[in-house]
Amino acid sequence: GSPGDPQNLKCLTHNLHKMLCTWGVSSRGRHGQTDFCYTTNDLTPQVCFKTKERRVEIPIPESSITVTIKSSGTAFSTREFVIHQKDISFVPVTPHILSLMPDFPTSTLNLKWSDNGSVFPYGLDALWQIQILRKEAMEVVTQVTYYSKLTHEDAILSWSWTSDMPLECTSHYVKIRCYINATQFAGPKDWSAWSPAKVIPGKDTEPGGSGVFPLDRVVAVGSDLVFCCVHEEDEHIKNMTYGSKSYTMTQLSRRSHAIRVLNASVSNTSGTNVVCRLKHGLEGSVVFVGYAPDIPQNLSCETPNFLIIKCTWKPGRPSGLYGERRTKYSLFERTSGKNVSCEVNEVNRDHVCGFPVLPDQKTYDFILGVSNPIGQAQSSLLVDITQRVHPKAPEKLTITGNNSTSIQLRWFVNGSFAETRLLCQIEISSSHSERKLHNVSVPGRKSSTYTAELNALRPDTKYQLRVRCSAADHFWRWSDWSRVVEQTTS
Amino acid sequence: MAAAESPSAALRRRDLCSRGIRLAGKMRADVVDLLDAYVEQQGLDASASAAAVEGVPLAAVERWDEQTGTQRLLENLAAYRAFRTLLAQMLEEQREQLGEADAGLGRALAAVLLQVSAFAYHLEELLRLESRGVPGEEGDEEEEDGPPPPPRLSLFEQKLRGLGVLRELAQWAVRSVRDLRQLAKPSPATGAAPGLAESP
Repeated sequence: GSPGDPQNLKCLTHNLHKMLCTWGVSSRGRHGQTDFCYTTNDLTPQVCFKTKERRVEIPIPESSITVTIKSSGTAFSTREFVIHQKDISFVPVTPHILSLMPDFPTSTLNLKWSDNGSVFPYGLDALWQIQILRKEAMEVVTQVTYYSKLTHEDAILSWSWTSDMPLECTSHYVKIRCYINATQFAGPKDWSAWSPAKVIPGKDTEPGGSGVFPLDRVVAVGSDLVFCCVHEEDEHIKNMTYGSKSYTMTQLSRRSHAIRVLNASVSNTSGTNVVCRLKHGLEGSVVFVGYAPDIPQNLSCETPNFLIIKCTWKPGRPSGLYGERRTKYSLFERTSGKNVSCEVNEVNRDHVCGFPVLPDQKTYDFILGVSNPIGQAQSSLLVDITQRVHPKAPEKLTITGNNSTSIQLRWFVNGSFAETRLLCQIEISSSHSERKLHNVSVPGRKSSTYTAELNALRPDTKYQLRVRCSAADHFWRWSDWSRVVEQTTS
Repeated sequence: MAAAESPSAALRRRDLCSRGIRLAGKMRADVVDLLDAYVEQQGLDASASAAAVEGVPLAAVERWDEQTGTQRLLENLAAYRAFRTLLAQMLEEQREQLGEADAGLGRALAAVLLQVSAFAYHLEELLRLESRGVPGEEGDEEEEDGPPPPPRLSLFEQKLRGLGVLRELAQWAVRSVRDLRQLAKPSPATGAAPGLAESP
């Protein structure tokens, strides 16, 4: 070709509507004004315009387009090109990250970006590659492909990633690119360029950001943990220990070293210390390794007095967490919507919770909620408390009268039993006769005394007596026995 | 030259000093036991170097020999008042962090706190004996809402501070014994125990 001849015409589209065509000129030509004309093959009039640059943006043809480029450089030269759709490359616009938000307590990065969907026809499949990089050397930690469908509107997409190491340890970077599967488009399709990297700076970039991270975290037994020690640049790090064991360190940056602890076991009550020994000092953190709460077993509720409902349960495996991280229990009653938090002693492990008897409510739909920083669980129980009466042991058992063959006695039962009948059992024993049980059914009252008379006894005989009570209707459990009283018939 | 004490005052002071010496000796033994339990329970290693912890009075003193009796008592009193506050904070943190999980350590800590309070009161007695005014507690002079709360330390820093507090308290108990022995000494010239101002 002669000097200044246009050559290598290439066309590329970012949005399937317009294409950007660029060309070169053979080397020895002086570059001047260019006339660029194009026409599609359905005999529409030629469109021309002048340009000084060697790039023009024109609509994408349905099938093909004839381009004539007249350049007026060293000599006039004209070249004609035919561009078919299959010759046009489709490279989506570089995606734009809207936000990258760190959640330090969970070491999670939350990414939001726009899919720029309004530019494309409805329903195209889009693939997004998200790259996470780390350290000063920006090493790729992971690359993930995310799928979405374009809806001819600009949608905001979001994605989260949890780092295996605390975000404080070193800077984390995120880049994103996309590929749009325009099946109707005949030309070659390619990935967009990577977006500029968004960065979450680590503490190792902050003046005075020293310390061991994560700080005072609670994790599940069996977790693989990464701890890092951020120190001043001129500081020499001697070692890092987890508990009493020293671990091999990995350097993340000039100011950050890390260790990896696999399959962490439960820590002692005050947590496991992670200590970073430096030439001029000590940095440290504490981690609490424990279990999520088990589902409470054998949840059972009863009332001793129709004033309070006492629920008990078996907690299952101890969580290994104490103090403010201990497992906490709450009792929620669905019908009334009332919620009670339970004071449970995590050491001597008596698991009992009191819930008030509510006016005019017999049936209780309980949910026992259990939670600690690692997890939560629950158990439920539907109970009619009139069928779960377990009175306290009768008190003040006294002999109120006697003669040669009978004894009258009185006792007190604490509780509000006005709406129920009590069944009380008197045990009579003496050195001469077998232990006998005498049952009496009495109408219940509110914190009241009850009486009974025992007949057909032997004269001049010392008897030992004690009493226990339960609900007469729907027996559930006997109370404990009262204390024993002795009486000799006359 | 302050006038020499009356024999009864000297007797009373020697008695208070010797009881103070016994109290400090017991306190030291308990603090050392507590320190061992604390190091183990907190998962620290005994060699952990706890840099000087803010707010913990240092037992080491320069020119100890040249101190007057009043200086000794005032410094001791200020120190044990500070330890009373620090130990109360440790006890609070202990309950917060461990709940009932390690009641033994909590009880031992509370017992030492009681001894420190008793010893501070003992020192006040000695100062009153010399009709020295007992300095008010630091909080009294501050405005109503008291000193600003200390910065929230991380759990590891709390552990190290606890270590520093107990170590320094053990040192103070030793110093207090020496100080009280110094106070109990009769003055070489008159054979009678000197007034506090004089005794180096």
